[in-house]
Amino acid sequence: MYVNRRQMKNGHTTAAQDAANLLNNASNIIAITSHEFKTPLTAISAAVELLAARLQSNQQMDAFYEKNLSRITTEIFRLNSMLDEMLTINTIMSGRMSLNKQIIDVVQMLTTLRSNYYADPEDTRTFELLVTGVPQGIYADHNQLNRIFMNLVGNAFKFSREKAPLVKVDFEERQVVIRVIDDGIGIPAADLPQLFQPFFRASNVNEIAGTGLGLSIVKTFVQENDGTITVDSIAGEGSTFTLSFLYHSDSL
Amino acid sequence: MQHTILLIEDKTGLRDTLQSLLELHQYQVITAANGEEGIHLATAHLPHLVISDIYMPVLNGYQLLEAFQAHEQLRYIPVIILSARSATEEVNLALAKGAAAYINKPFLFANLNANIQQLLQTSGAAPLNP
Repeated sequence: MYVNRRQMKNGHTTAAQDAANLLNNASNIIAITSHEFKTPLTAISAAVELLAARLQSNQQMDAFYEKNLSRITTEIFRLNSMLDEMLTINTIMSGRMSLNKQIIDVVQMLTTLRSNYYADPEDTRTFELLVTGVPQGIYADHNQLNRIFMNLVGNAFKFSREKAPLVKVDFEERQVVIRVIDDGIGIPAADLPQLFQPFFRASNVNEIAGTGLGLSIVKTFVQENDGTITVDSIAGEGSTFTLSFLYHSDSL
Repeated sequence: MQHTILLIEDKTGLRDTLQSLLELHQYQVITAANGEEGIHLATAHLPHLVISDIYMPVLNGYQLLEAFQAHEQLRYIPVIILSARSATEEVNLALAKGAAAYINKPFLFANLNANIQQLLQTSGAAPLNP
């Protein structure tokens, strides 16, 4: 809701109302501009594809064009996921997030993610999925849990280069423990305490793109679904993110 | 033998590029800049499929879907919605109003084309003779 001009003119708003209105306006501006950015992104992405298709049909496509056109497309979609992260954090901060909890089969969700996951078209690895124990259901929001897994798996791919990431699911007595393990660049010990803070990025990410919002969204979603998240990492050796969720009494 | 696609999009640049991409893939394309123009062209040409944006001036994508559903011939034409908004409520609203598919912007053309092919197949639309 925007500030009512007449109210402002007559000085009928309190400082608290003004502050709330200002925050609300800022939040609306972020939501609107993020969506508006997607329109030119779509036009650029379509134009790149048209260029590629034309080069292909004229038999002028070579490895150089192909590599660079695919790089533009990759960066367009990376920019788009950054916009999505901004939109999500904006929804969280403005208190407009809604939850729709249901019983979820974690293994099924991860299996689907495993076959559909492709963040970087040039990366052909798929993550390994290792399950122990008797599968039981947890009670969580489907979209949020999916975002948690997509983000952690996405990071595991983004910050490692050789071995494929491993996702271990252990169905313990009262809870399911999910570990996302990579042998990538790891996180320096001094950065670990701030890792889940919005806009914080570890000191060794260098030119690897990101908003610094992903893990703070993950942490919020984990808390919204009554779970826990911890991280163990050694710089230069890799990271393990550990999630846990209690079973739902009705189970699967 | 070509299928006719009606493309409704108010942004000229994107509309032209998409039209060229569709034509490169052997579709016959007619275009409109808003929902109202789209309904006129759809009634006159009865395309095999419609691709439409949601937020457009004059008449938006939701209103277009409503008008298609209320029309005895247009209601059988599959409509693919292309939108920058990915909130579940918006997707569900479009599907409830009769959209056959909902694709988020930006998208890969291969994904759009896979949806077009599948919908043309399931709707059993026969291509027009040239």
